[in-house]
Amino acid sequence: MSAPSTYALIQYAQRRHLAFTETVDGLDEGRFHFSAKDNLCALGFQARAGSAVLEGYRPPFDATPIHRLKAAGGQLVGKTTMDEFGFGSFSTNSAHGVPLNPFDPDRSCGGSSGGAGAAACLIPGHIALGVSTGGSISGPASFCGVVGLTPTYGRVSRYGLIDYGNSLDKVGLLSRSAASIAQHFGTIAGPDPKDPTSCAQPPLAGKGRMPSSLALPREAMENLDPAVRKAFQGALPVLRGMGVAVEEVSMPSLRFALPAYYVLATSEASTNLARYCGMRFGRREEELNQHFNDFFTGVRSEGFGDEAKRRILLGTFCRMVGFRSRYYLKSLAVRQMLIGEYRRVFQEHDAVLTPTMPFLPPRFEDIRRMTPLEMYLADFLTIPPNLVGMPHVSVPCGYVDGLPVGMQVVADHWKEMDLLELAKGWEGAFLYTFPEVRP
Amino acid sequence: MDRETIAKVAKVARLALTDEEMERYAQDLDAILNSFAVLDEAPASDTYALNPVPVVDVLREDEPAQEIDPQLLRGQMGTYEDYVRGPRLS
Repeated sequence: MSAPSTYALIQYAQRRHLAFTETVDGLDEGRFHFSAKDNLCALGFQARAGSAVLEGYRPPFDATPIHRLKAAGGQLVGKTTMDEFGFGSFSTNSAHGVPLNPFDPDRSCGGSSGGAGAAACLIPGHIALGVSTGGSISGPASFCGVVGLTPTYGRVSRYGLIDYGNSLDKVGLLSRSAASIAQHFGTIAGPDPKDPTSCAQPPLAGKGRMPSSLALPREAMENLDPAVRKAFQGALPVLRGMGVAVEEVSMPSLRFALPAYYVLATSEASTNLARYCGMRFGRREEELNQHFNDFFTGVRSEGFGDEAKRRILLGTFCRMVGFRSRYYLKSLAVRQMLIGEYRRVFQEHDAVLTPTMPFLPPRFEDIRRMTPLEMYLADFLTIPPNLVGMPHVSVPCGYVDGLPVGMQVVADHWKEMDLLELAKGWEGAFLYTFPEVRP
Repeated sequence: MDRETIAKVAKVARLALTDEEMERYAQDLDAILNSFAVLDEAPASDTYALNPVPVVDVLREDEPAQEIDPQLLRGQMGTYEDYVRGPRLS
């Protein structure tokens, strides 16, 4: 039986796994194919970022990463499903469909780039543009059994990205292999005058240096599902067989990362989302004979989902007079302290190794029973590198009952190519498994 | 977090909450902020930056440039005789 066409796989990923919010009607031969998370603006598609408040918004331009991939010969084949504005770990906070895990449709793809994870898994050779604020590339990569690269903060232009947290957002790539990511990463990386945060970066290395010494923080091995712990520990001899040393270390400041992240992320989000008031983007309120306060409040109350409201409230509270020093300024200081702690580890080691997610892809029925705080705690391994803006890659490292387990490697700022060398080397030592797809 | 505080925060954030939402978000934020109390144990420091890596200002010549047709941007908004329509200010 011949292999299904790429177009058939895209349609299958959309129809059966809800990976896409929109797709093209046909593929251009001779071009490579990529998708973009729905919070990246692109000509010809709506950009709704998983939110009902942006219903109907059609941006008149391409985000820089999309523009660059198109210029390099790529065709944008669709926009992928996501948690509203990136607010979630399971892609269940979406107004435009909840993506279903390629390994088991009763389970989550992870979030918030869940559709990107599913597309990268279901379509061989596919390149998915994802966006990470606190783990939204690593998490879906782990749950969907693919490779996810989150670059250094500022490496890839965010012009055309619908903001979540300005000091945290990063555009990256997901695919079945590190080689595919390495092939396209140089295209999207590099300075862009339209995003000043991208203009202080050093040049991207042509070829990375494979890390030979990894630090494993003992704090990262607490509160893990035993099955994940076992699968992760099974990967360590394989790494050592590649000539990579793994040594246990202590990083006590990691315990401050999760609260500091949520304070900064929600504080920034609560100001970013102020622009959605029924006039400029998406959903438009026509009852103009109202006081502007009532007008804005009505649009926002109806348009934002449950988790978006929760994070707006949390971020607004953390920025209020009387609480600002305790939460916001303290969290900025914690970020600086954590950068220092990573740097101390990098004096002795090339990178930091942890599992990516603390448990296997959860069932939707179990997610429904989780409290918001329990959902936030699910990100405790992916948040630290995101908070400090350091590049990290998640690769599959084991399988439990047919479900993938991921491991995450973090390097110092700007060392993405070192991580990709390690990920490519890993693919030579460990065989990835993908679900059989019959469109 | 008491009801009065959550009502004040919601007003600042321009969100109208139902009684049920008010109750639920107050409970959620209470649990979340209690878990954030660990931040009090972090050492105090005056050293911080707004971004995790250094950021430079990017300047360009102050010359008119138009990459996107203003009509396209205007098309996203409600307009009347070339004015953007909005709610009452008072």
